[in-house]
Amino acid sequence: METYLALTSVWGVYLTAVVFFAGMGLRIYQWATTPRSPVPFGLFPKPATRAGRVAAMLRDTLVAPHSAKIEPRMWAFAMLFHVAALAAFVGHLRLVQECPVLPDLLGAEGMNAFAAWAGGIAGTLMMVATLYWIARRTFGPFKALSVPEDYLLLGLLLGVIVMGNHMRFFGDVHAAEYRAWFQSLLAFKPHIPEEILASNVGWSLGTHMLFVDALLIYFPFSKLVHTIGSFAANLTRSE
Amino acid sequence: MDAQAISTIVGVIDKKMTRQVKQYLDICARCAICKDSCHQYVGTGDLKYLPARRAELVRQVYKKYFDSAGRFVPALFEARDPDDTLLDELYESCYACTGCRRCMYYCPFSIDTQQVVAIGKAMLIAVGRGQEMLGQLADAALFKGDNVEMFREVLVSGFKDIEAEVREITGDPEATIPVDKEGAEILYVALAGAHSIRPAAVIFHEAGVDWTISLFEAANYGYFFGDPEKARLIAKRFMDEAKRLGVKEVVVPECGHAYRVAEIFYEAWSKEKLPFKVSHILEVVDRFIKEGRITVEKGRIAGRVTYHDPCQIARNGGIYEQPRDVVRAIADDFVDLTPNRAEQWCCGGGGGIVAIDELRDVRLKSGAKKVEQLRASGAAVLACPCENCRLQIEDLNELHGLGLQVRQVIDLVVEAMPLPGNRPGAQ
Repeated sequence: METYLALTSVWGVYLTAVVFFAGMGLRIYQWATTPRSPVPFGLFPKPATRAGRVAAMLRDTLVAPHSAKIEPRMWAFAMLFHVAALAAFVGHLRLVQECPVLPDLLGAEGMNAFAAWAGGIAGTLMMVATLYWIARRTFGPFKALSVPEDYLLLGLLLGVIVMGNHMRFFGDVHAAEYRAWFQSLLAFKPHIPEEILASNVGWSLGTHMLFVDALLIYFPFSKLVHTIGSFAANLTRSE
Repeated sequence: MDAQAISTIVGVIDKKMTRQVKQYLDICARCAICKDSCHQYVGTGDLKYLPARRAELVRQVYKKYFDSAGRFVPALFEARDPDDTLLDELYESCYACTGCRRCMYYCPFSIDTQQVVAIGKAMLIAVGRGQEMLGQLADAALFKGDNVEMFREVLVSGFKDIEAEVREITGDPEATIPVDKEGAEILYVALAGAHSIRPAAVIFHEAGVDWTISLFEAANYGYFFGDPEKARLIAKRFMDEAKRLGVKEVVVPECGHAYRVAEIFYEAWSKEKLPFKVSHILEVVDRFIKEGRITVEKGRIAGRVTYHDPCQIARNGGIYEQPRDVVRAIADDFVDLTPNRAEQWCCGGGGGIVAIDELRDVRLKSGAKKVEQLRASGAAVLACPCENCRLQIEDLNELHGLGLQVRQVIDLVVEAMPLPGNRPGAQ
């Protein structure tokens, strides 16, 4: 167990961080150094001002109203996933620092209960959306459009989510212990707290992190770069 | 496919790659939200017409040669060398694409499939697989540009014949179609054929505008073929003419892609600022009506009238309201199609596909949504700019027995003008 966690949740995390940030940097560098087409690709009507263009870009990227119009169900699941993923990301910030105000208001027990609910809901929604995507891709009439990358990413995502949910629903370890582990990584003095090693979710943490490592190492080289590229592409829409 | 051809194709992708297209290829999630936006995929259900699939063919080669992950694990992306199977499918999917960019409108990332298709066409052209008919038409236009004196006499005598008709319609024996008139206000660049000259000449005459006609036509097969350099040179023919004559405004006919080439693309392609304005004829007609320079009357066009937005002047050109105002000014009963404007369905006739015989079947099938829209409108007359749209909708009209009159907008305008020689229903 200790070796497994050392591989996936210590050294794996460092490796992932290096590859992820270097990879994203490389991707942005490649985009930045490819000359732009001088031809305007925008669709009409176009916003008249720069601020209007940015506002339209943010609306198109964050809300995608046109996609909602043409395939409401897919849009709903996509929104569900992305909002839940954002919530889960915010929740994970507790690994760096306990959130302010809330613990004072709710007390330690209350905070744990709140986190259990919020994290549980976000994790469940993400799982539902991912399963929907897998089904839609596998049984849709456009199945032949898919390439192995699509399934690999969905598989990795599902792995991350299922293991995260396992820790959330079946574990009795709370944020404080995970925070001790994560802060030890940030301080470059890696250490896995006894409570985690002794708990029933040590394996889940290791496997959760295994999937996270794989997903994030692959991230900059996959279609997931739409997380940043969609802002640029949606700005092109109004140029 | 030999190594030479593969390296030619790879070289073309490298040369044509722009930041925007690179981003499109990198970020497409293959979510297939585009499937319901494309008239061709909706009309045929054939995977090769799914917008993301059209781009996927280019992406497969791009991944293999321009992407580290694709080189490392090609199987993950189905990255591969271009072969006959790939190029055959690419040919159909690229030359069938009308470039309407309805998929871009609905895509959550606004991926412009037309730009990816442009790279696909460049790949095909590089290995001699470009669409032959479109290539020949483009070359013919370029030949005319280089040898215009050979054509002058025939053209001018053609203009004289049309002039006689204009005199009859307007009742003015002095009405002319001026050629090569220096210092004129407007240079009108028509399409080949009297139908796009006669009504415009009547309107210009009645508006009392100082105009002259171009020796060249606005249609641009270089653009459809997929060669931007040829497209630029074809448009340059009349842009140079306009500079030589010192006109204030170049007016292109109802044709959709001609407007987009002249107004949206030309300055970027030629890296110069044009010393004159480029307008669409319906912008000009709208201006004439609003300024009271021409008189139009309602009640001369029988039946309900509807309007089709050609993709290249509407979603891709920004002209939505002026043609509607023109049609409203002449029709008693105007009704819009649903959906309309930016969401208007492509008729299926754009991008040069009407000139490609082998794609006739898919073209007709891809009109299914347009037929539905036209039926639902209950209109008897369709005001339809853009020659390609009209050719396609005429075919659909006949095939589906819609019993619709498909009319050029300027023809309807002339019909609505109280003129002595105005023959109702004159085409």
